[in-house]
Amino acid sequence: MNYLIGILLAPLTFAICFLWPLITQASVALEMIEAGWPAIVLGAAIALPFGLMAQLRGSWLWIK
Amino acid sequence: MDQVADNLTDLSETQLDIFERQIAGKYMNIVPWGAVAWGIGNCLVFVSIIPLVLMNILPLWIGFIMSTLCIMLAYLPSHEAQHNIIAGRGKPLRWLNELVGHVSTIPLIFPYRVLRATHMEHHQHTNDPEKDCDIDLHAKSSVHYFLQALINQQPGSERAGAYGRCLERTNQSHLITDAVLMQSAFLIIMFTMALSGHAIEAALLWWIPQIIGQVYLEYYLGWAPHHPGHEAGRYRDTRAFKSRFGNIVSMGMQYHIIHHLYPRIPLSLTPAAYRALKPVLIQRGCDLGDL
Repeated sequence: MNYLIGILLAPLTFAICFLWPLITQASVALEMIEAGWPAIVLGAAIALPFGLMAQLRGSWLWIK
Repeated sequence: MDQVADNLTDLSETQLDIFERQIAGKYMNIVPWGAVAWGIGNCLVFVSIIPLVLMNILPLWIGFIMSTLCIMLAYLPSHEAQHNIIAGRGKPLRWLNELVGHVSTIPLIFPYRVLRATHMEHHQHTNDPEKDCDIDLHAKSSVHYFLQALINQQPGSERAGAYGRCLERTNQSHLITDAVLMQSAFLIIMFTMALSGHAIEAALLWWIPQIIGQVYLEYYLGWAPHHPGHEAGRYRDTRAFKSRFGNIVSMGMQYHIIHHLYPRIPLSLTPAAYRALKPVLIQRGCDLGDL
């Protein structure tokens, strides 16, 4: 149970389950990119590096 | 009493203490019904915003403004409950005190029992670098506070673990479960909304307002009334200050010194209590700023 909660609360999980769809949907809504794979790839390209940084360094913005 | 107030310098320490407590006593033991309605009503408004926006009844931008305001307003009713102002233990209205405490902080995603336990430690150890769990909110200036707030929001920051460490130090680690459950519920709602195509609504109606609200609340409740925060002691660990944005925008915190001296005085009565106690506070050497 602790393991599952640890995964749920991890910054990388937040990046994958929230930031990735958020960036994908926002980029389409703002007509920056066409819907479908291009928007999904853009979302992953932005969200995953931030998620990894937050997970490994403990900061979304590098500064600590 | 007016005659006594004119001659405070003639009073002994004990007489001044009695005089001070007599004045403060007039503002205590009053049920703050406004805070009860505020806490429960604010939460009901907040939980209705997401459904109303998803049903296209409320525009997203209005929902964003309303959510942000609701989150900014979410803490103070719970704060009244934390200090048992609505009803103390064993009183007939105790259930209402606890209901307001639990319900009002839902928008903030902070559990009542954690806030109460850590807030009591803040009162007991204000400005103590080791024991004040709100010490991370101190900053050299208001500009520096907002830079510090950016760092405090990061998952690996000192601030992120401050309440957990406080609960462990005071042997109340079991309360961390409340925080884990509440945070988990919030994340499940956010993830479900995002993965079902409503990420923008989730971000604008809860995630971003929660960040704005928390920074705002910590500015007026944590930084401003304790700045510069170098001194300890009953009359020196907090201050009165004049906010350029007035008493409502500063959430009544101009009179925070009254709250630290007499935590059982309801928020709505702290201005009147301040005015009545001001001669005593001057005599005590308190920092009253321009107020």
